[in-house]
This record gives sequence, C-alpha cells and structure tokens, in this order.
Amino acid sequence: MDAAPNTEALDQQFKEFIQAIKKAVGTGLPHLKDDQKVVDQAIADCKEILDVVMDGNVKEWLA
Amino acid sequence: MFTDKIELKDFEKQGPEYQDLLRRVLAIQADCEIGGPNLYIRDMLPNAPTKLDQLIVARTAAEELDHYRKIAKLAGDMGVDVSYVLSRSNQDRYVEAFRGKIQTWEDYAVFGALIDRVGRFQLEEFIGCTYLPLARLVEDPDMIREEEGHVDFGVNALSEMAAKGGESKERAQNAVDYWYVKGLDMFGNSKSYRSERYMHWGLKRRPNAVARAQYKEEIDTLLTKLGLTIPDPNKGRLYT
Repeated sequence: MDAAPNTEALDQQFKEFIQAIKKAVGTGLPHLKDDQKVVDQAIADCKEILDVVMDGNVKEWLA
Repeated sequence: MFTDKIELKDFEKQGPEYQDLLRRVLAIQADCEIGGPNLYIRDMLPNAPTKLDQLIVARTAAEELDHYRKIAKLAGDMGVDVSYVLSRSNQDRYVEAFRGKIQTWEDYAVFGALIDRVGRFQLEEFIGCTYLPLARLVEDPDMIREEEGHVDFGVNALSEMAAKGGESKERAQNAVDYWYVKGLDMFGNSKSYRSERYMHWGLKRRPNAVARAQYKEEIDTLLTKLGLTIPDPNKGRLYT
C-alpha cells in the first residue's frame, strides 16, 4: 500500500513545530516569577510558531 | 460482528465499508484535533489572564497538534491525505462545535471541561478496536492522558469562576449554556445507521446514545458539584 504523498514530510514538519512550542514553553515556565523578559519571549515564540500552523499553508512548509 | 484484528498491510484486503468507515473517522478525528487550536489560539494565547495561562494555552495547543500529527500519520499510511483540514476555515469543520471562535477565558475553560471531555470519550471508542494501528495509538497512555489534562485544567478554571460567585459565576454559566448542547450534539444522531456499522466492524465500542448518556451523567454531576445550573439538554440541539 502506498502512503499518501507527503505523509512523512508533514509528520516531520509537525514534530518540529511541536518540539519548538514545547521548548519555548519549557523555557518560559521556570521564569514566571523571576524574569518576565524570558517569559514574554517564550510566549512570542509560541505565538510565532502557532500562527504559522494556524495559517495552514502546507505547500509553503513543504516547499 | 467483525472481530478480526487488522494491521496496515491488510487494510486494502478489507471490504469497502470497513475502509470507508475507517477513512471517514480518521478524517473527522484529524479535523477535530486541529479544530480546537483553531478556535482559541488567536485570541486566547495573547489574552489569557496570566502569563502562566498563556503558556498553558500554548502547551495545550502543542499537544492537540501532536494528536493531529499522530492521526494524520495513521491516515497517511493508509493512503488518506487529511492535510486539507489544516487550511480549511472553521466554518467548514466537520463538527459544529468547532465552527466558531473562542474569545473569552470562560469559553476557553468550559471548552476544556466539556468539549475536550468529548474528545476523551471519542478516543476511548477506539480502545481495543479492530484496526490495530489505531487501537495502539489510543492505548498508548500519552494521548488520552493529555486530553484528560486539558479537561482537568478546564474544570479547575471553571471551578474557580463558579466559586467566585457574582458576575464571574454568571459568565461561566453563560459559557456552560453555550457549550453544553454542543457537547451533547458531538455524539451524533442516536439512530445513526453509521454508528451501528462502526460497531459492527469493531471500530467503535458504544452506540452514540450510550456514549452521550455516559458523558451527560459525568458533566451533570460536575456542574451540580460546582453549583452551576444544568442547561436544558434539548434546547438548540441538532442531533438527538
């Protein structure tokens, strides 16, 4: 059976998105009380990645 | 009742109804997994009450993306491309509950408490199912545990809103009134022929009406415990 086109590539792309968001969250969480700049940057990083995912331009991701 | 256990390599050997039902349920599941973040990310990530809440919103979305990824991989391996759900508008979602926007923290909390709970119920349907790659996916503890985490966060936030009383409780009740029937509708029509066929092929465990009744009992108990009013279960329903 043939997999659908781009199955592996999309899977890999999503792994990267997810890892990047979790990394940003993990960077921000320990600094909630002592370093607002780090937290703000973590939130901004999450937003940047999630905006890309929500736009859903799959062809652009895989180009 | 079909009881064989099917691996990916045997999928194409199955009858057309089995293949169609499995393709369909995976497409809907993928749509729901990505549909949640599409409802709340744009407004809740920047506007959650605290920075901790903002980070939790982001982490929740990441977990839902991972659920989408896993379902999409399963479907893709079967030759089914579900990537079209990534770019569709909310209005085009398969399930009515995902066709809007979440713009208040009360709605976000209730969405977790009630709608992510439906998500947990739907995933539980596939435990022990005849398509082994799907059964293995939901039997791995991560997916359902993460969904339970989203539910718990929603319950805790809703509980705080209700405990504050006054306007806070009123806003929470309004959100409950909105999402309650949407959650009940997510189980589909009680007399659905397709629901019977899913069970016949061992792809789901419970009829729609049974799952809905179990869900309703859970959330009615929760709402009563929180001192909130149980909405009219028939008002505004699309499916009964």
